[in-house]
Amino acid sequence: MLPRAGAKGAPPALPIAALLAGAAALLAGAGWLAFAPRALLGAVNAPSLVGLTHVFTLGFVGLVFAGTLQQLPAVMLVTDLAWPRLGLVALPLLLAGAGSVVAGFAAGFAPLPLALGGAVVSLAWLLLLAQLVATALRRWPKDAAGQALVASVAFLALTVVLGFALAGARSAPGVAAALGYPVRLHLTTGMFGAFLLGIAGAGQKLLGMFALAKGTAQWRLRLLGLLVALALLAEALAAFARLPLGPRPQLLLAAAAALQLLEVRAILRVRLRRRLEPPIRRYVLAHAFLPAAGLLALAGLPAAAAAAFLVGFVGLAVSGMLVKILSFLTWTARFAGGAGVSAGAPLLRDLFRGELEPVTTWALAGGAASLSATLALRQPALAPLAAGLLLLGSASQLAQAVHVVVAALRPVRSAAPPPAAALATTEEAGG
Amino acid sequence: MTQTSLTEIAPAVPARNVLEALHAVIDPELGLDVVSLGMVYAVTVAGGAVGVEMTLTTPGCPLHASIEADVRRVLGEVPGVDDVSVQLVWDPPWTPAAMSDRAKRALGFW
Repeated sequence: MLPRAGAKGAPPALPIAALLAGAAALLAGAGWLAFAPRALLGAVNAPSLVGLTHVFTLGFVGLVFAGTLQQLPAVMLVTDLAWPRLGLVALPLLLAGAGSVVAGFAAGFAPLPLALGGAVVSLAWLLLLAQLVATALRRWPKDAAGQALVASVAFLALTVVLGFALAGARSAPGVAAALGYPVRLHLTTGMFGAFLLGIAGAGQKLLGMFALAKGTAQWRLRLLGLLVALALLAEALAAFARLPLGPRPQLLLAAAAALQLLEVRAILRVRLRRRLEPPIRRYVLAHAFLPAAGLLALAGLPAAAAAAFLVGFVGLAVSGMLVKILSFLTWTARFAGGAGVSAGAPLLRDLFRGELEPVTTWALAGGAASLSATLALRQPALAPLAAGLLLLGSASQLAQAVHVVVAALRPVRSAAPPPAAALATTEEAGG
Repeated sequence: MTQTSLTEIAPAVPARNVLEALHAVIDPELGLDVVSLGMVYAVTVAGGAVGVEMTLTTPGCPLHASIEADVRRVLGEVPGVDDVSVQLVWDPPWTPAAMSDRAKRALGFW
């Protein structure tokens, strides 16, 4: 079946609201950390640090992923989104469930909010997974990027269900006896199966599109997905069958992360757009944290490595794409089918406040680096710096997101010849 | 850049003028006009009816409706044009190589 233009996503207000909520969740988490920066110096499984981690993963990343899934499949799979109003149910469930889970952690692993929130978040992600699979079944993706997107959401749903099982194991001896306490599998599935694979899949498509790349090999992303799947299978065998696999899963995951670096490098090498826009530069910069995380892991600093991976790599990558995708969503919501640029609509880049982008990028990057350093060095003086930078970066990001939406809602200026029309010359007409 | 095919059958307006008018249709993401971007493959003028065969940077491009509406609006204002049809095609697919040299420079190409 030939692709057709105009594959429809959900009503735009849904993903826009989810992306704004995600940006607000990051600010809330950064505010919490700024209020209690010494949480970084306690045990890594202390309630406050686990709660903060879930504000980031379930709140910021989860909501941005979920919102993006209300529009991106139509672009990547080039078919209409199945059950386009399902998000009206799934996204509020996700928000409420994430809030309940975080409250449960903050209250010292309170069983009831954890169980309730875990069940609700699991239901929300299973609904979103079903929606994506139903969409993909309409036009099954043949490209590696589309397949990686579907697989990453399956891993994300599995991560959440595993988290729910962990909450059950913590409060019910029967569940613990049956499942053990597979916290490592939960972490690995989320970080690599959901986040790395999701960023790799969506990134191959979107980075290529925004950088005007001439296309890259499919094998790298397919191999990346295979390595992640094998590593997670090995982790599951280690967790449930008690198989002694040694460092093999980690080696597979390191190879997958290295492939992602090579993939981004390959896309950038064949790009034709030299000047990348600031949000895309933030997405690219995120990848500097992958080798940093690997080195920290090799140095025996798993908490610092996880912080570099999650806040540095995942945080910056998601932040860059959030702003870019939000501009598309708000522009199409406001102008699709109506006034184009020739009738006075702004360009997408006109929706941004340029001065906020470097603040977001460098404050989030600096915050991620100092967060990792705090966890690695256990230096109390670094914790407020990390908290302050993350607060600044997340505030700047939210301000940008709100500005994009508000700018798109402004009345259309009177039609005037756009500057780009100056490119028109008779020599170009007809070639 | 893309060689736009121009076809005229007892035209009420020269096809070249229609192509000129399409320079006013701007891709909101790239900030350049669709002709310079090499997205316009063919223009056919038969009497007052204008047919435009064009593509987009990617098949799932979410901006398609706006760009298509802009083409209709801009050509609808050309004297002599009384009907506009727009056909989006994906073969051949758009590549950045289809852009004019000046458009490439405007985007900072290597």
